[in-house]
Amino acid sequence: MGKIVSIHSFRGGTGKSNTTANLSAQAALAGKRVGVVDTDIQSPGIHVLFGLDEKTMGKTLNDYLHGMCEIREVAFPIGENATDAPGRSKLAGKNLWLIPSSIRGREISRVLREGYDVNRLNEGLQTLIAQMELDYLFIDTHPGLNEETLLSIAISDVLLIILRPDNQDFQGTAVTVDIARSLDVTNLLLMVNKAVPERYDYKDLTDQIEKAYGAPLTGILPLSFDIADNASRDLFSLAQPDHLWSKELRKVAQAILAVK
Amino acid sequence: MTTQSEILHLKKAFLFKGLPDDVLDALGQKMIHRRLAKDEVLFERGDQGDALYIIDEGWVKIVREDSQGNEVVLNSCGPGEAIGEMSLLDQEPRSAGVIALSDASVLELKSDGFFKLIEQRPDVALTLIRSISSRLRFSGAYIQKVIEWSQKIAEGDYSFMDQAQTDMTVQTRKEEDKADQLLSAFVQMVKGVKAREENLQLQVEKLTLQIDESRRKQEFEELTGTDFYTNLKAQAQKIRQQRTDNQSS
Repeated sequence: MGKIVSIHSFRGGTGKSNTTANLSAQAALAGKRVGVVDTDIQSPGIHVLFGLDEKTMGKTLNDYLHGMCEIREVAFPIGENATDAPGRSKLAGKNLWLIPSSIRGREISRVLREGYDVNRLNEGLQTLIAQMELDYLFIDTHPGLNEETLLSIAISDVLLIILRPDNQDFQGTAVTVDIARSLDVTNLLLMVNKAVPERYDYKDLTDQIEKAYGAPLTGILPLSFDIADNASRDLFSLAQPDHLWSKELRKVAQAILAVK
Repeated sequence: MTTQSEILHLKKAFLFKGLPDDVLDALGQKMIHRRLAKDEVLFERGDQGDALYIIDEGWVKIVREDSQGNEVVLNSCGPGEAIGEMSLLDQEPRSAGVIALSDASVLELKSDGFFKLIEQRPDVALTLIRSISSRLRFSGAYIQKVIEWSQKIAEGDYSFMDQAQTDMTVQTRKEEDKADQLLSAFVQMVKGVKAREENLQLQVEKLTLQIDESRRKQEFEELTGTDFYTNLKAQAQKIRQQRTDNQSS
């Protein structure tokens, strides 16, 4: 049975979608069968990293949630369409599917207005894992702790929390960690992103974080102009594998793949 | 006859400050014009110092060699500036070389001619002694300042730098003055040391995780106190159980 890996951060702007896309790509590169779901229905974004736009997207998670199609129809095969950027093209032939959220304003506002049945989301995800025989299903969540995020935490086998080295994120992460424990998430992993290079005593930072949350810190990814410059055009860890950011990201990916 | 511009040039040399015009005129008459082509060497480091030069036209550079034998330009001098004033009195070997940066014209005053003038005019000797002692006093004051600052740096106190920079802007134009150059170099050095020290502090900055435990508890209770959460928790347990059962079957 495949594992559900939720990627979460208490506040926005932590690089969550970028991290999720790169982690799922690394898992696919390692030969796993991988799905990526964008449950950030209010502000979808991960599709851009995989080179999808409104025209290429086809059916979306919104269509499934509104009962208009089966979840399987939404899964977009990245490995068959991944030739348009140097990093992404390394995914050619790999088993990686994206389940995107709609980027049409009308459909976003419909979900916000009417809401949706989180149970249907759960059923969809479980079906997807079974039908596609996935090893991993990565969920890109909405920041904060709304209902669909709580659901994705609740059904996760692995929860990766991303935080930046600042006190607002430390505080929010504490609450998320408590929620994850309360919902019996057994594998809690942490990752720091946007750390100013050379600035902190990294060992001290690691000790403090691991002690405060009782979970392993799997990588400290640097704040990087190169990432900003990439501007979501490509999967950075594939395009620039020797970059420090990519090396640290692979550590996080390895920690996820090592979970039994 | 010495021209008016030559007398003006002579007055700029610190040694001749305060000398009456008739003496300057006499000095001027002992000076000879020398023309230098671009890149021509006026004198080299180690040459015997037996003359003072005042630049009339053009520019020269004062140079030394570093340990690898590369030329290091210490300073460049233009019209009105004097070179090798002290050599007139002590005739020590030249501490640096001088090379023309452009075609230039310099006035040369040989020390023997200078000494003859002093023999004739004891009042000139007295004026010179006054100039030199005032300069010594001035240099002493600068050295005292550098000693005080060094002690402050040793204690990690850089607060004098703001004051020092205001002082420097007033005085930096007096480039012929070695004490002034020392002060300027010293201020630059302190800036460098301070910047490196701040950089080091940045590198070892320790973040202190601050978690407000009462807020943490309150937010947790707000999130978990809903019917939705209670249902979710029960449902999550069921889902996990199902998946475990599926795995084992």
